[in-house]
Amino acid sequence: MVNGVNLLFQFLDNFAFIVLAAAGLAIIFGIMGVINLAHGEFIMVGAYATTLANIRYGLPLIVAVPVAMFVTALFGLVVERTIISGAAPNWLWKYVRMGLAGGLGRLAALDAVPGRVAGGLEAAAERLPEQPLVEPLYDRLADSMVATWGLSLILVQGVRIWFGNSLDQVGTPVVPFVGETVSPGEIPVLNLIVTNSEFSYSAYRVSLAVIALGVLAVVYVLFTKTDFGMRARATIQDEDTARALGVDTGRTYMATFAIGSALAGLTGALYAPTITMVPDMGTGFLVESFVAVVVGGPSVVLGTTMAGGFLGAISATVTNLMGSTFYGRIALLLTAIVLIRFLPSGISGFVRTIRERRQEAT
Amino acid sequence: MAAETAGSGSALPRPVVAVVRAWQRIFHGPNTIGNSWQFWAGFALAVAALFSYPVLAGGYQASRFALFIVYAFLGLSLSVVWGYAGILSFGQVAFFGVSGYTFGVVALNFDTPFGILGAFAGAVVAGAALSFVLGYFMFYGGVRDVYVTIITLVVTLVLETFMSQTAGDEWTIGAAPLGGFNGMPGIPELAVPVPGLLVQLLGPLGVESAPIVLGAGDGTFYRFALALLVLTYLGLRALVNSDYGRVMVAVREDEDRTRMFGYDVERVKLAVFTFGGALAGLAGVLYAAWGNYVSPGVYALTFASLPVIWVSVGGRKSLLGALVGSIALAFASNSLVGEWAFVIIGALLLVVVLFLPRGFVPAVRDMALFAWRTARRYRSGEPEGSVSENPEAAADAEVTD
Amino acid sequence: MSGDGFSRRQFVTAGGAALVSGLAGCSGGGDGDGTDAGATTDTMSSDGTVTLGVLEDQSGNFALVGSPKHKASLLAIEEINNDGGIMGNQIEYYDPDPQSDNQRYQELTRRMIQQREVDALWAGYSSATREAIRPIIDQNDQLYFYTTQYEGGVCDKNVFAVGPTARQQLGAVLPYLVEEYGPKIYTIAADYNFGQLSADWVKVLADENDAEVVDEEFIPLSNSQFGSTINNIQEADPDFVMSMLVGANHTSFYEQKASSGLEVPIGTSTAMAQGYEHLRLDPPAMANIYAGVNYMEEIPTERNTSDGGFVDRYYEMWPDAPYLNEEAENNYFSIYMYKKAVEQAGTFEQPEVREALESGITYEAPEAPEGESIALDGATHHVDHHMWVMRADDQHNVEALDDQVIEEQFLSNTVGCDLTSEDEETQYTPQDYFEEAG
Repeated sequence: MVNGVNLLFQFLDNFAFIVLAAAGLAIIFGIMGVINLAHGEFIMVGAYATTLANIRYGLPLIVAVPVAMFVTALFGLVVERTIISGAAPNWLWKYVRMGLAGGLGRLAALDAVPGRVAGGLEAAAERLPEQPLVEPLYDRLADSMVATWGLSLILVQGVRIWFGNSLDQVGTPVVPFVGETVSPGEIPVLNLIVTNSEFSYSAYRVSLAVIALGVLAVVYVLFTKTDFGMRARATIQDEDTARALGVDTGRTYMATFAIGSALAGLTGALYAPTITMVPDMGTGFLVESFVAVVVGGPSVVLGTTMAGGFLGAISATVTNLMGSTFYGRIALLLTAIVLIRFLPSGISGFVRTIRERRQEAT
Repeated sequence: MAAETAGSGSALPRPVVAVVRAWQRIFHGPNTIGNSWQFWAGFALAVAALFSYPVLAGGYQASRFALFIVYAFLGLSLSVVWGYAGILSFGQVAFFGVSGYTFGVVALNFDTPFGILGAFAGAVVAGAALSFVLGYFMFYGGVRDVYVTIITLVVTLVLETFMSQTAGDEWTIGAAPLGGFNGMPGIPELAVPVPGLLVQLLGPLGVESAPIVLGAGDGTFYRFALALLVLTYLGLRALVNSDYGRVMVAVREDEDRTRMFGYDVERVKLAVFTFGGALAGLAGVLYAAWGNYVSPGVYALTFASLPVIWVSVGGRKSLLGALVGSIALAFASNSLVGEWAFVIIGALLLVVVLFLPRGFVPAVRDMALFAWRTARRYRSGEPEGSVSENPEAAADAEVTD
Repeated sequence: MSGDGFSRRQFVTAGGAALVSGLAGCSGGGDGDGTDAGATTDTMSSDGTVTLGVLEDQSGNFALVGSPKHKASLLAIEEINNDGGIMGNQIEYYDPDPQSDNQRYQELTRRMIQQREVDALWAGYSSATREAIRPIIDQNDQLYFYTTQYEGGVCDKNVFAVGPTARQQLGAVLPYLVEEYGPKIYTIAADYNFGQLSADWVKVLADENDAEVVDEEFIPLSNSQFGSTINNIQEADPDFVMSMLVGANHTSFYEQKASSGLEVPIGTSTAMAQGYEHLRLDPPAMANIYAGVNYMEEIPTERNTSDGGFVDRYYEMWPDAPYLNEEAENNYFSIYMYKKAVEQAGTFEQPEVREALESGITYEAPEAPEGESIALDGATHHVDHHMWVMRADDQHNVEALDDQVIEEQFLSNTVGCDLTSEDEETQYTPQDYFEEAG
């Protein structure tokens, strides 16, 4: 039975989930052309950081969430420098190479070394690879997929080895963001009576929808009103020209990845009280985030919003109609297929095309 | 290669030279690694060693290794579709699974040797049919690049979600329950019926009418799969080195330019994708017959990404790379035990992507060439840079990246 | 690329990568079986040593519930060995880690049977695993113990399914809740074999107890968002809910239900006893949850909770273990039952041991109160379990409310599976019940 109020809250639930899952990934994919298959694990890092901050160090949730965001951003920075851009290995190689070349040369100059071998050593020193040793992963879709998949394997198993098979859960906050254990009667809920049935909705989950909108707004402001946003958009549009105009694209990418990671960490932190803390919890977010990013199209804010709205609406409606989340999930996946097929540039690409056509017409 | 044989041509009889020239024409080309007699010698040696593996290591090890051979088919299917035609598909496992299930359903219902043969054929057709439909939907709808990848992935996930809940009795096709999440056990093994004529002719020699059952435990399945793999590899080599293979590579390199030259790009992509689907389907049938079991786990994201990983690490633009990569990685992840296994595999992936982006096998081959040339130069004292008497040089001249 | 096809850079990087791969191959190559308790290279087991195979998930998705199984198996083996072994022979065991991967299970099962030639095998947590290896078991006529709670119905001459069946577990808790709260039931279950079949059993039991299932909802295993489910429950307004949710994603339901203020009592066969949610989640997530189980760490029998009892011995051997779960006890007592059967048969040969098991073995398991024991039903290869109804309160303290012996009924009474007289290798479902019962 389609119940309007239920439908609304379920839609908000789905919308929040999809938007929060996809936001970080959309930024990274949209700007850097990197497919981060470890996105779920970034979310896991944020969730684990929050849980550990709250449980082991007693930080209240309102402090633990920003801490988790920071930790995940830092982690993302490390990943970006080592794997995505290869800057760290290249930097390391610069000095290693100098040392090796110098060492081989000195070795060859020793009297004790026979001539032929010395010649070989010198040739070897000359043949050491030049920099850069490692190419960045930007716009290398398949390679970034494999690399980040390897990263996700390491992360999931590493977390399992270090923290065990599960962590104790953080309780849902009483008043948003101040966590304490409570008895059932004290949990804040929105109680509504609709058509003679009494429904209650978790206030926390409703607030997630509000936070999702807030995230979109912040990202929008970030990209349109700040210096960084301008540089980032220039880089998306035409990297070479941007660099020619003096934009430090390397730095832009670094900051972008950190921001995307921070958003993933935020998602993990927000969902930590509601999901089981197991090392592979990230996989539950991966599919929705990918589908939303691709369906959304090239524009980060507009695309994610519309994808979240559209897919969330379909999923909620079908679930409500059929009474089972199975149909909702199938409907979501099938909708994604249809949308990608008929809107090959995603929803925001479609919107952009319409806008351009209208501009041309006037 | 031509130079070598021509040089000693006077010593070899004409028919042999003709055969060698034909072999080169069919199997050599810039799209594959290994265009020298040294390669084929090594290849023959490796195949011989692999064929004698069951005798050397026992039936259990052979059955274990047979799974990796089955995976090699899956890796080859992705290499054809991705490495040679540029279509990155996460959906190979979808065709793999559909064929596996089809084989199971038909074989359980018609549990006779001819029935099983029919199941084999029908299952491969089913895999090809699904890939045809999906390919038509995508390519003739103008879907390209990463969107193709996502659609194939989503299709796989739809299959996973759907098949996982087919547990009830209403989901039984004849004598075969689909089994839902628990999967479908009891799938019969492959059996080759022995034709009556053969029994009549060779009866005195001990040929019975009983069908030859390709069991996993005694090495017969292993040998069958290995033989099939060698034939498939040779067939694919011929394909990618033919004119059609060049068209595939052209599509991979630049679709629009190829279209401007007058080729029907959509048709090429559809044909290649369907062929890849059939190949993945073949792998699926072998898989179902190997384990006598198939489950929705083959549609999971983790398994769907495995072929991509095998082929990326091995070298996607090379058939040999995909083949070796699949077998080697499957073997490695199977042999590694303990909690650090996945960490090591993840690290391996990272290292390969960062430092060997073209894949392992091309890098090894380049290293071998480099060592060969350096040794030659060292011995003969020639200056650097000369390309003398290099067995790979002629074929290498057109190596594309 | 030039005709040279190779650059110096690639030479070094290729070499480095080869080194890493070589290390990878070296560090894990070979059999890598984990701990072998003094296993010899001699694989023949008929010359006075007994070899057991224990394939339990020590890593991967099911490690949370599989790890206690593994630990309890080793506890039983060590206790028996310290006590002189079986008929004077020390037990050797092989316990490689299948990593929650069914293909690995298939391969390791083959290895256990063909290479190690184990006298008995304990393997697998999920039903999918059992079904994946059952063909191999049946091909080789290997004696096999499946110790997880499951949907029931396996009638296979090689399989001894010693965990409680859905009918036994639900049969313990459902009548209690009907009496306590009323006849309106809402079922939520994982959308796969175990969940769907358990839901069918809920209907059967509701029928037998004058109750009614007002609605059923099946949730895919990958789903972790339960907003709509919670709303549906509120709309249906049942007297109590029967929950057969499975897996880490589904555990989120309890947390989300609590934060939505949903207070309806919930009966379950899957929560608390396997994954110790009452310890992992903050109260009051598991408040008013009633578990129908044959064993939980908290059941109040002497053999379990007294000083030096089962719980104490387990934590003495495994001080870092987080919990002693339902399946662990099944592994534990079935190993002891195997010992008894061997002693009764007087040999390790599997056909004779199987016959001994079918003659009806009893054992004083920790799940049974002092003075009682549980019995293996020879005809069906299942166990007549001592079932408990355990409830968690607002502070997640667990207490026992009811206990009784529930015999295996489905296979013996309804379907007529008698493995002592007829060899079978099938699995029956409630559909067969409906057909038989009319």
